[in-house]
Amino acid sequence: MPKSSPQKSADRAASEQRAEAEALFTSIGDGAISTDEFGKITRVNPVAQKILGYTEAELVGEWFPKAIVAINADDTIMTLIDRPITKAFLTGHSIYEKTFYLRKNGEKVPVAMTVSPIILNDRPLGAIEVFRDITLEEEIDRMKSEFISLASHQLRTPLSAIKTYSHMLIDGYMGPITDTQKKSLHTIVGAANRMNELISTLLNITRIESGTIAVTPKPVELGAMMDEVGKELSLMAADKAVALNITMKGSGSTTIKTDPLILKEVLSNLITNAIKYTPEDGRVTVEIKPRPTDVVFTVTDTGWGIPEEAQDQIFTKFFRAPNIVKRETTGTGLGLYLVKGLVDRLNGSISFKSKEGQGTVFSLTIPRSVRRSGRQLTAAGG
Amino acid sequence: MARILVVEDDRDLNNAYSIILKNEGHEVEVAYDGKEALAKLKDFSPELILLDLLMPVMGGLEFLQNYNLQKAHPDVKVLIFTNMENSPEVGEAYKLGVRRCIIKSWTAPHNLARVINDTLKQKDTVQTPTS
Repeated sequence: MPKSSPQKSADRAASEQRAEAEALFTSIGDGAISTDEFGKITRVNPVAQKILGYTEAELVGEWFPKAIVAINADDTIMTLIDRPITKAFLTGHSIYEKTFYLRKNGEKVPVAMTVSPIILNDRPLGAIEVFRDITLEEEIDRMKSEFISLASHQLRTPLSAIKTYSHMLIDGYMGPITDTQKKSLHTIVGAANRMNELISTLLNITRIESGTIAVTPKPVELGAMMDEVGKELSLMAADKAVALNITMKGSGSTTIKTDPLILKEVLSNLITNAIKYTPEDGRVTVEIKPRPTDVVFTVTDTGWGIPEEAQDQIFTKFFRAPNIVKRETTGTGLGLYLVKGLVDRLNGSISFKSKEGQGTVFSLTIPRSVRRSGRQLTAAGG
Repeated sequence: MARILVVEDDRDLNNAYSIILKNEGHEVEVAYDGKEALAKLKDFSPELILLDLLMPVMGGLEFLQNYNLQKAHPDVKVLIFTNMENSPEVGEAYKLGVRRCIIKSWTAPHNLARVINDTLKQKDTVQTPTS
């Protein structure tokens, strides 16, 4: 039997290594596609073929961004510069993103992917993308959001009955009551109010933390929106004997393109906070100043203010300033955490100036235009 | 005194609103979903409808579409009474011609009575669509 030459042994070892690498690539439980340094597809594993509906032969040799079409949430085709593979090549780093791919049969499939550049001795050899079909996860998320919305609504309905009947008793609809009875009923109303606020906040926090708050930009006429917010909060201000004034400043266009529901939620939260933490006979002033590229909203109150030592923690979860804890034993410390999360979703910024005992000014800056992002939900409310 | 139709599926709340509004001297009819409200409207011509959004059988938005508020009944004032604040449904309701949206869990009876009386006094019939 002839002995193997060293060359033959090396060839066999190289061949075994290639077969092992091939088996490894083929066995990956997620979709995997590799490209050369020009983005031409070199390998497509069976899971990727199953997700996309193409055979390996149909894809190998094709230019990745052209052969596999990526779709944005609004059904437009993703531009080359936005493609994760482009970003991975340009930055030299792994890119993790969720997007949609177009299957061979034209169906849209949601995928979560990681694209990594393959670099050897500082030289790019290509890229590898590992991705998985997240249809089921998205569906579970959607069902979870719908459930939270529905559960919140169902929790609020009995609360509304508790509040309404308590108020009717207080207001004498069912006949005269004693002062002690009235005081007890006010306690019931207060508890129902706290429960109600808690439901709203938890609903929104759940949405932010699960990433299910989608940004759906629409033309928003700020005058009409602020009128709506003002009408909704005027009753709360009246109950607290706090004067609420909303004014538009300057002559810039008052129509912007943003997500009206998110912006309204942010402003409602800021104004509600201002009313809540301002003593009776105080003032809350809201000014809206449209500028060429953004809009600045300022919410000024004559309330208890935020102590200097607490100011750097004001947007953190569950934080409540010590001067407020003394006056208002209720509250979750989630309101401004929620506001910050929502403002980030609108690519805006928020800051404040405050002096304890003299009031607070919150400044919110929102760009005139924001891009659509996140999964678009149809269910909302609570 | 005005004729008011209360459309609310929660019987406790529906009963409460009826008491509050009758106490103000209004003539009140009630329905527990949009379909029942449409049937009531064949014999009852309200000046104002207090309408819940989320109801079984037929919700508030579907009711508004069927009722054809803006074209067929421009003089009838519709107030939405809901807990779904900041939801797309509220925006849709404004587009369909409702006057105002009141958040149930924030509104005390005396405020509800005041808002309804203020709305009844408004003379304009122009709707205010919002975003």
